[in-house]
Amino acid sequence: MRIDKHPVLHFEKGRKVQFYFDGRPMTGHEGEAVTAALHANGVMVLSHSLKRRHPRGLFCAIGKCASCMMRVDGQDNVRTCILPLREGMRIETQEGKGRLK
Amino acid sequence: MKYDAIIIGGGIIGASIAYNLTKQGMRSVAVFEKNYISSGSTGRCGGGIRQQWASPENCKLAVKSVHLFEKLDQELGFDTEYYQGGYLLLAFTDEEVEQFRKNVVMQQGAGVPVRLIGVDEVAAKFPFLDTSDLKAAAHCRTDGHINPMLVNQAYADAAKRNGADIHLFTEVVRIVRDRDRINSVITADVRTFETGVLINAGGGFSAEVAAMAGITIPTRPQRHEILITEPLEKFMDPMVIDFHHHIYFRQTKHGSVVMGYGDPHEPYTHNIQGSLEFLKTMSLMITKVVPAMKKVKIVRQWAGLYNMSPDAQPILGKVPGVSNYYQAVGFSGHGLMLAPAVAELMAELIVTGRTSMDISDLSIDRFAGRTEFKLEKAVV
Ligand SMILES: Cc1cc2nc3c(=O)[nH]c(=O)nc-3n(C[C@H](O)[C@H](O)[C@H](O)COP(=O)(O)OP(=O)(O)OC[C@H]3O[C@@H](n4cnc5c(N)ncnc54)[C@H](O)[C@@H]3O)c2cc1C
Repeated sequence: MRIDKHPVLHFEKGRKVQFYFDGRPMTGHEGEAVTAALHANGVMVLSHSLKRRHPRGLFCAIGKCASCMMRVDGQDNVRTCILPLREGMRIETQEGKGRLK
Repeated sequence: MKYDAIIIGGGIIGASIAYNLTKQGMRSVAVFEKNYISSGSTGRCGGGIRQQWASPENCKLAVKSVHLFEKLDQELGFDTEYYQGGYLLLAFTDEEVEQFRKNVVMQQGAGVPVRLIGVDEVAAKFPFLDTSDLKAAAHCRTDGHINPMLVNQAYADAAKRNGADIHLFTEVVRIVRDRDRINSVITADVRTFETGVLINAGGGFSAEVAAMAGITIPTRPQRHEILITEPLEKFMDPMVIDFHHHIYFRQTKHGSVVMGYGDPHEPYTHNIQGSLEFLKTMSLMITKVVPAMKKVKIVRQWAGLYNMSPDAQPILGKVPGVSNYYQAVGFSGHGLMLAPAVAELMAELIVTGRTSMDISDLSIDRFAGRTEFKLEKAVV
């Protein structure tokens, strides 16, 4: 799922790169938001609510909420909706509140 | 309308005095709060509860408070998030170590289970700290922290259950005094309430409240800034104070880290604006002490008032020349932790004229004719 043509906006598409989601290799375009790459690969659930563990997907998409927080290359609580994708990134679903590291 | 006791201020001090007055049998008690419960310093404070003070009087009051905090949830029927995770005071210079050494002896004498611990033990027990410049630390395991808003509400609710009236959004704008006696208060909505005694628990506005009764007291408001981070998995038990960098921090039950920095050059005003300067300084200081904080996001910042007294100790009890005026003011940044003890003793003083623990050293008389004071140093 990707918007390729848009009446107003023009998308620069970076080169194809490989990254990992929970250990599975996936491909996306360098520089696009990590969540865009995940969506294109069919991953809609980014985190879970703390109390009831309800699935959480993309919500604000501008780095203001906590819905898309994931573990990226070992770092917890990274807002993946505003994080540009890079080659070899390791994105993981984060359970719980994130650790001080 | 007539009350036996009117309390001005619905912060932790006013609410806890109201509760203790009703508990000790006073019939008609009222609290007047110009905003809402916890809208003043209480709802803005750090929530720390410690017994490690530089004077024996402060230690004894704090020890009494901790005994009361330990039973408080049960007594008030409220989960206040009280947590005895301890308190860790960091020493970075030889002078600080020397001071801590003296304090620890004095504090142990006052019944505080505190000990001086070496850098290796600090590093092993509290791995989140950067101990490279650390010289030693003082640790007291029965110190801890609490959710200030919850404990304020708990006291207010309990006072209400016991029959006290809590008038929210009701500012006292005039105090009517006839010679040595206060007769009544008048509220902003122009109602008059007569009273048997008046209690000033006005926090950052204590001097203004006293002035309405024609009383001059040496308290001054001073802004202190504070912030809270996103929640993290639990990584720390104690509240940490670092007098060297002027900071303190603790992790709440929810997982957020609350931290404050006391600017030594802050002027005495009622200003409670948050500042960008604070964000910069706080970030700089906290990342020196807890380097991993670099990656943690700040959620919110705010500020509140310390009500400073000349010696940074509270001013409790009556004032000369007014028979039915009492005050519990000037807490100088540690009123939350002292509230249970202070409120019980103030209620004793008001109801019986005596206190079960001597607090006469903390009366306003100590300032009479003096211009220099021994400062309580253990304040951030
Ligand atoms: C950033 C910060 C961190 C702190 N950290 C700690 C800590 O870790 N531990 C600790 O023990 N203490 C701490 N303190 C200090 C603590 O917050 C105060 O000592 C304590 O809350 C004082 O309680 P209070 O009831 O006297 O004042 P307040 O909570 O300010 O209550 C006074 C109330 O009186 C009301 N009032 C004033 N004038 C009138 C009027 N004319 N009519 C009606 N109502 C009126 C105000 O609206 C206010 O609600 C901290 C304070 C700050 C600002």
